[in-house]
Parts: sequence; structure tokens; C-alpha cells
Amino acid sequence: MKLLHLVATAVTGLLLIVGSLDLAETGDPAAPAATHVSPRYIESGLEETGVENMVTAVLADYRGFDTLGEVTVIFTGAIAVLLILRNGLKGEEDEA
Amino acid sequence: MGLIEGAAGQLNTVGYIVLMMIGIYAMTGKSNLVKKLVGMNIFQWSIILFVVSLSAKRDASIPIVLDGHGGGAAPVLDAAQYANPLPQVLMLTAIVVGVAITGVALALLLRIHRQFGTLEENELLERLDASSGS
Repeated sequence: MKLLHLVATAVTGLLLIVGSLDLAETGDPAAPAATHVSPRYIESGLEETGVENMVTAVLADYRGFDTLGEVTVIFTGAIAVLLILRNGLKGEEDEA
Repeated sequence: MGLIEGAAGQLNTVGYIVLMMIGIYAMTGKSNLVKKLVGMNIFQWSIILFVVSLSAKRDASIPIVLDGHGGGAAPVLDAAQYANPLPQVLMLTAIVVGVAITGVALALLLRIHRQFGTLEENELLERLDASSGS
């Protein structure tokens, strides 16, 4: 059984390595990821938002609603943890 | 040979794939649920590291404008001088979501341990069978 898992893992890794051969070289300034969308944010981000840190500018300004959704995710997670653990305690009290 | 030569130019990517394989093996091959959760986190971090590595540019600085508010006119920025901020932003979101997932998973594990007294998958299955059979 362990062997099956090892083989499956190795096959997945080999497929991923074969797939990664077509990626642009790491650090290449002419890579597609660096030439299509991001120059717009780098070049006019400071002018449009007034924030020096581009990551902050994109996170809190351009993608502000995305960040709001992120906060919702954390809130939902916290509520879920609270409900799971509190019900557990109640169940134990009832049994005792 | 083409595979090895091609992969040698992408050593960091190979490293992330190895991390990911460790994660996959921990998730599938281990029977302890905590180990599975650790495997899931390793898997997640391999993807985060990979996407952040896409933002690297040779001879580029971190995406922070120095002296942005220094004097009068806004400085003219060259995109080649700064690392790509977009993958970093997206992975920031992924890290936050990952922390929430890990928290809920740990809470569930705590609950399972309270109820059944074990976190080993095969023992859990036995106890589930025993409790549903009786």
C-alpha cells in the first residue's frame, strides 16, 4: 500500500517537472507574467493610489473588495471553530 | 537528457515540486490525521512559494517606491526595475485563507479526538463500524 502511494507521488512529480519545462526561466524580465498586466500597476500605481508599497496598493485599493471577502473568510473560520469546539464541550457535559 | 538539462535551468521549480510531492505523500500515505494536515500545509506552501517565485525579475528591486512622496512631481517608474507585485498580493490572500482552513481543520481534529480518543484513521474506521453496528 505504501508502495502504491510512493509510485503515485513520483508519477505526479515527474508530470509536474515535465510541465514546468515550458515555463519561462525564473527571473526573466521578458517573461509573460512580467510583461502583460503588472507593468500597468507598477507604472501608475503610485500616481493613482498614492501608496508607495505596490503590494499594499493592489491589496487594499485595486482589490479592496477581494480583501473584504478575505476578512469574511477569516470571520467564518473563527465562527466555525467556535461552534465546533463549544458544541463539543456541551456534549461532554450532557454525557457526564 | 533533455528532461534533466531543462530541469536544471529551473532548479527552484524542481525544489517546489519536491516539496509538493512530500505534501502529497503525507496526505495519502500517512494514516494519522495530524500528519495529513501537516502534509496539506506543506503542499499549500509549495504552491505559494512557486507563485511568489514567478514575481522575480533579474536586477529588480522589491515593489516599493523609494522617495515616492519626496518632491513635487511623481517619479517616472520603469516596470523592469520592480518585482511583479501581483503574485505576491494573490499569495497574501492564499496564506490568509490557508490559515483559516488550518484553524478549522485543527478544531475538527480536536473534536474527533474528544469523541473517539484517537486520530489514527484505521482505528477511527474501526470505532465508527463498532458504533454503527451496535
